[in-house]
Amino acid sequence: MSNFFSDIGMLFSRYNSFFLEGIRNTIIIALFAVLIGTVFGVLMAMMRMSKIWPLKAIATVYIEFIRGTPLMVQLMFIFYGLPMLGITFPEVSFIPNFSRFAAGIVAMSINSCAYVAEVIRSGIQAVDGGQMEAARSIGYSHTQAMLYVVLPQAIRNILPALGNEFITVIKESSIVSVIGIADLMFRTNDVIAVTYRTLPSLAIAAVIYFCMTFAGSRLIAFTERKMSHGKQ
Amino acid sequence: MENNEFLRVVDLHKSFNKLEVLKGINTSFSRNEVVSVIGPSGGGKSTFLRCLNLLEVPTSGQIIFDGVDICDKKQNINLHRQKIGMVFQQFNLFNNMNVMKNLTDAPVRIKKMPKEEACEKALALLNKVGLADRADAYPYQLSGGQKQRIAIVRSLMMEPEVMLFDEPTSALDPEMIGEVLEVMKQLADEGMTMIVVTHEMRFAREVSSRTMFLAGGHIEEDKPSHELFANPESPRLQEFLAKVL
Repeated sequence: MSNFFSDIGMLFSRYNSFFLEGIRNTIIIALFAVLIGTVFGVLMAMMRMSKIWPLKAIATVYIEFIRGTPLMVQLMFIFYGLPMLGITFPEVSFIPNFSRFAAGIVAMSINSCAYVAEVIRSGIQAVDGGQMEAARSIGYSHTQAMLYVVLPQAIRNILPALGNEFITVIKESSIVSVIGIADLMFRTNDVIAVTYRTLPSLAIAAVIYFCMTFAGSRLIAFTERKMSHGKQ
Repeated sequence: MENNEFLRVVDLHKSFNKLEVLKGINTSFSRNEVVSVIGPSGGGKSTFLRCLNLLEVPTSGQIIFDGVDICDKKQNINLHRQKIGMVFQQFNLFNNMNVMKNLTDAPVRIKKMPKEEACEKALALLNKVGLADRADAYPYQLSGGQKQRIAIVRSLMMEPEVMLFDEPTSALDPEMIGEVLEVMKQLADEGMTMIVVTHEMRFAREVSSRTMFLAGGHIEEDKPSHELFANPESPRLQEFLAKVL
């Protein structure tokens, strides 16, 4: 047992640059995925709640399909499948491995977008319908009522759930290691390959993932408390 | 007094999918009139009221307000709604705003009233309903009766020509009903035109000048209040009154 802990100490001091690079890449991927996912998720949620049925249909199919297929399949499809159709991500000279990163971020964003769209839609629909009616009844337009009455209340439901989505993405992003992006999982595998210390290496990775997600969930809990002022 | 009539409903029908809730309503309202709408649950009272400001879009028929058919798609309903106040059973104060903001947001944003003027007006009206000290409170800090009085003031801020009340006291504890009815009575005395869907038979009889009995999607009886309560003609109204009085 003491062997196990001394191994952890040794691995971490000798290979910390591996883990640090992995952490950096994991955070970059998760951050971009959630950012891009949120922007398009808002759009997708608006389409899903739209009264124009083609928009609604597209959004519904997209959301259901993405949520109903494994991220691994989506990732493989983007990275291996698209080039076969002649669609490739360009290389950018000053960013190493850009095309891999781009594929990883695109796949994660497409995936995250579907979940974020549902988070936003349910956040808005959780606001009592009477709020919209009351606003319309004194003369607000639909857009004004949304902007000044419904959305400020929906944000309280949406932000914490969005934080959870970010945490999920941090964990799920470990899957991009299969297409050769040097994220935390990928670098952990490197350390295992070099040292044959499987268990201690995985333990380090697990603790690092936990630290990232735990910090995230604390942050969410904090903002949730901040926002609960003025709630019914 | 033909020109005194400013809200007319012509052959109003409303269906939800296959269920026909309103089966041809014809009536009209004059300025300064206080009309109660009574009737059994599911009879179409609330639907009728909600059609008057198009919260429900009628399936067919006309609603002529100030000389224009507001069901016409070319009409800007947001403009008409500013002149038709509405008070809901569930109050529906904006939960993200304090009382003052609830009252002043619409006049300032929509009617471009200067902020100071809106605040002064709000305070004056709050004073009238006895709630001037609650201007900074949020809706969750208020009792049901207070919320409803503020909801009434919120509608008044837009200076409506007519006020619709959708069972304004049904969600209130018994001891709070009085304070809301008192405000409504005061409004009636000041000459506000009011259409009130209610289960408060005393209010219908004593405050409203006219009472309408709505059942099965029709207006079964429509008479001056004291007459309707003293001599109900239709058997359904007699049966209804026997149950509730």
